[in-house]
This record gives sequence, C-alpha cells and structure tokens, in this order.
Amino acid sequence: MGATQKYSIIDPATGKIDRRIFSDQAIYDQEMEKIFGRAWLMIGHESLVPEVNDFFHTYMGEDPVILSRDGQGRLHALLNMCRHRGNRVVRCDDGNATRFMCTYHGWSYGNDGKLEHVPGTSEAYYDALDKPSLGLVQARVETYAGIVFATWAEDAPSLEAFLGDARWYLDTVFNRRDGGMQALGPMKWLEPVNWKTMVDNCSDNYHVPTTHLSSARVQTRYLGRPPLSHKDQFESPNKHVFVNGHSITFREAPDNTPRYVHGISKDTFPLFLAYHEATLPEVERRLGAFRARHVQLGNHSIFPNGVLGFRLALPRGPLQTEFWHFVLLEKGAPEALKRAIRIGSQANNGAAGLFEQDDVDNWRQVTAASKSRLGRRISQDLSMGLGHAGPHPEYPGVVSERYISENNQRLFYQRWEEFMNAESWAEIPIAPITARFEGTATIRG
Amino acid sequence: MTVTARQALWLELMPFYIHEAWLLDERRFKEWLDLFTDDVLYFMPRRKNVLRREAHREVTPLGDLSLIEDDRRYLEMRVARLDTGMAWGEDPPSRTRHLIGNLVAEPLSKGEVKAKTAFLVYRSHLETDHQLLAGSREDVLRRVNGAWKISKRTILLDANVLLDKNLSIFL
Repeated sequence: MGATQKYSIIDPATGKIDRRIFSDQAIYDQEMEKIFGRAWLMIGHESLVPEVNDFFHTYMGEDPVILSRDGQGRLHALLNMCRHRGNRVVRCDDGNATRFMCTYHGWSYGNDGKLEHVPGTSEAYYDALDKPSLGLVQARVETYAGIVFATWAEDAPSLEAFLGDARWYLDTVFNRRDGGMQALGPMKWLEPVNWKTMVDNCSDNYHVPTTHLSSARVQTRYLGRPPLSHKDQFESPNKHVFVNGHSITFREAPDNTPRYVHGISKDTFPLFLAYHEATLPEVERRLGAFRARHVQLGNHSIFPNGVLGFRLALPRGPLQTEFWHFVLLEKGAPEALKRAIRIGSQANNGAAGLFEQDDVDNWRQVTAASKSRLGRRISQDLSMGLGHAGPHPEYPGVVSERYISENNQRLFYQRWEEFMNAESWAEIPIAPITARFEGTATIRG
Repeated sequence: MTVTARQALWLELMPFYIHEAWLLDERRFKEWLDLFTDDVLYFMPRRKNVLRREAHREVTPLGDLSLIEDDRRYLEMRVARLDTGMAWGEDPPSRTRHLIGNLVAEPLSKGEVKAKTAFLVYRSHLETDHQLLAGSREDVLRRVNGAWKISKRTILLDANVLLDKNLSIFL
C-alpha cells in the first residue's frame, strides 16, 4: 500500500470547495475507509432495544449492523454478516431473539456475537473449524444519553473525547431529564444526493427563508408559527458554532420560553410552556442554571453523518443516501406534548414533510452538477462570513459573529480533510474538552 | 337483473374513486380536498420487516412515528402551499397517473361505509425522476349533504425503504 493520498479540497482562505467530493467514486470509497471506518457513528438509541435479547437492524456506513442487548443487558454492535459465506443473519427490522441463525447453512450466533452452533461440526468439518475466531465481527459501542454510537476503530478515542465540547450544547436537548428519551422510528427513504449535502445543510440556515418559504407561510397562516424572512434570519441573535468536528447552532434564551421545535403552534404553545416551566428545576439540577436557562440547541450535525439530532444520512454510493428519520421524545413528557412533537417532526421533516420535500432537489442538483465534465471543474463558493469567527468568552468552540454564516460548513470540510488525510487516529486532531459541565448529568445520561 | 345492496354500493363508489384519481392527476387539489370531511384523519403508517409469526407488528399503530398523519388543517396546508408559487419540490409539478382498482365496499353502522382500494401510482418529475408506488387505501366514508366524503383514510404503501426522493404527491 502506498502512503495515504492527501486531499486538499477546500481553500480555507477563500472558501472554494472542489465539488468532485460530491460525485467521485474513488473519493467515496476512501470516505468509507477513512471516515466511516474510523469515526464514532450514531447507530441507534437504547430505547430501541429496551429489553434483554432485543435487537435492531441498523448500519455503519454501508455495513449492516445488528444493535443487540444480550442476556446480561450489555449492548453489542455486530456486523450482520455470517462468517461462513456472508449472508445476513438478521433480515428483520427489529425483534427479540437469543440467537441469530443464518438461513443459508444454519450457523447460529448468540446475540452477543458468539458462534454457538455449526451443523456438521464433526461430520463435515472434522472438528477443524475454529469457532471462537468466527463470531460476528464486533464494533466498539459507547453511549451518550442513550444515543448509541459504534466505531470499527480500536484506536479511536473515547466517545466523550470525540464529542468533546459539542456535548455541552447537545445536553440541552438530549440530556435534560432523569428518565431519558424514547426513540420512535425510523422512517427510511432513498435520496439521490451525496450524504455530505444533507449533513452540511444542518448549519445552513441561510437556505431556510428561500427553500422553505412556502411551508413557513402556510404554517404562519394556519398554525400561527412565527413568520420567517431573510431579515429575521440575518438579524437573529442565534449563534453558529463549530466544535471538534460537529456543527452546532443555538439560541441564547434570555426570556425563558421553551425551545422552538416543529410542533409548536398557537394551539400547542401553552403545553410546551407549562412543561418547560415544570421541568426547569430538574433541568437546572442536571445541566446547571446557565445552560438550563440560556442555551437552546438548534439545527446541528454530529460528524460525520448524524443530522438534526436523530437522523442518519447513510451513504449508498456517491450519488445516493438512505435517510433514516427518528423522533426522540422525553419519556416523562405528557402524552399531548409527545404527540405534538412527533406530529411536528414527521409532518415537517419526514419523507412527506412540508419542509423536507423542498430540500431534496436542491441537494440532488448540487450532487448531479458535480458529475458533468465542466460542472465538476467549477468550485463551490463557501465564502460567507470568512474571517468572522473565533473563540468566545462564554461559549466553547469556534463561534461565528453572525448566525447566518458558512463557517461551520467550511470547518466541516476541513474536518473531512483531517480524517481523509490521516494515516491513523493518532494524526486526527481532537480538541480538548474545555467546557464546564455544570450539573449532575453525565455522558451516560 | 337485480342488484344487491353491496353491488349498488360498489356501483356508487367506483365512480367516486375514479373521479378522485382524475382530480389528482389533473392537479385539481382543492376539489380533491372537498372529498374529505372536516374531521378527516389521513394516515400512512410505516411498514416494518418482521417475521410472519409477528405479523401484528408489521404495520405501525397510530401513535408511533408515521409517514403521514394529517387532519383537515394539515391537508389544507399541503394544498395551500402549492399555490404560493414557491413549493419548489412540486414546482415544476410531478406528472402522476393514479390507477385505482380492487374496490371492496361494505356498509358499517350509522350510514358509514368502509371501502378499500388498491393503487398503482406512477410519478414522473423533472427530467428523469420517476417512481411507481403501490399500495392500498382503507377508507371510511359517510354522506355529507348527499355526497360521499372520506372521514378516514389509511394508506398502506407497499414499501419499507421508500424508493422515491420524497413523498410530495397525494395518494
């Protein structure tokens, strides 16, 4: 093997990006090795496998993986591939089983991955089969507030280090309550887009008043949603910050109103307000008063492919992505509130979502334009806000002066280069944790 | 030849569903909305891959994450946004062809009827995007001022991973 190819696809001085990263098969193949083969990848949630022997079908990149909870309650991420010829040992979306049997020749694995039974061990294999070495291949598993991550890299740092200071912001959504959260879903659909177009869109609030104006307008009219305009976005005091590879936007919330989510309307707002006020003491205990009262996470993405909280952009070649959409609900919330959030999430951001419908053709044409002979040679311009970001006295990460900025996208592609150009994890920079995590909440929940 | 009550119902509802299909394919969405009651629930659950012996878990129940779960207001919003001239996902609009068949209709109590139909809907959009969607609709209908209207529609799409770039058309 030669030395790792070095990619230089973004010019940090100008924000120009080589658009071949959205269409080139060879680059995609390297992404599967260097990024999806190494990073911590979101694969599921503990609430999807709540009981012992539960399992959930998921993916790490293109590799099918079984998230299982074994008989002792431990989580495993098992490559869904029989060690004989490679058939999947699980074909269902989820279920409960102590063993997974391959339908081809009957090899059976425990839900901890151990190869337990092989027909003909003596009669056909002469007792020469080394069963202990032929268990289902396992990834390392760690969790953050119930969200399950897995990595193939033995030398990856801890999940805590990988999330770094981003967790200081993520806690304000994912780690608020003692009882934790319940995942519902996913719905799944195939989009003709490069996975990165969906991920870098999460910091892109610039597009919202253009792409989503029709939906915002009717929702203002019918649901009393706050109106949406360029002016609102450009003047917004919300913040745009990049932390250790992860893109975060958040609102400084001086007015103690609940965090804005799809599902809040003039009808449901009283529910949200009542819940916000009732749970504030608990949230203050868990996250400290500053985060509980002042920091509300907005759109965000977790490197490499975790989108808007709990959605996964699963790569399917450079020109296609399988998008999995879950909703996460606080288990202790009243049913009416859970319903409002669920309905808001699916009705706006699902496959039929009023907002989501208008995104895909933008992303697909960005992807497709990267294929044609001339188009692929003309760089993207991601120059917005160049030079207008830096450290902030109160907030960890690289904070843009303005909410509407392309700084997070530029830094996402620089992070992409860091992974693609590294021979090993030792060469991938990880920003040290500097944030003060007040309160009792831990990475476990 | 005499016609049974069930046959008479079928003869009334088949033209209703053909009319609905034409309204959708001709993009007459406001008139399509008029085919639903004010208290309508328009619901498309997810379908999971589960073993035959766990068939009760295949279709997600009301209350789980679903693809569509619209009341009248949400259906009106879907139609209203198309008129803004900025619904970019459907502007230029899709070309659709709804083929509806396999109608089975039976009366319920209190003048309501239950009707299920199967569909093949071909969708073509922009230059080469296309998808054939298949599935069924199970409807509850009642008369409002003499005309049939749908008070509940449950759409079972024949898909696990939806193969289309979005679900921006009506089924």
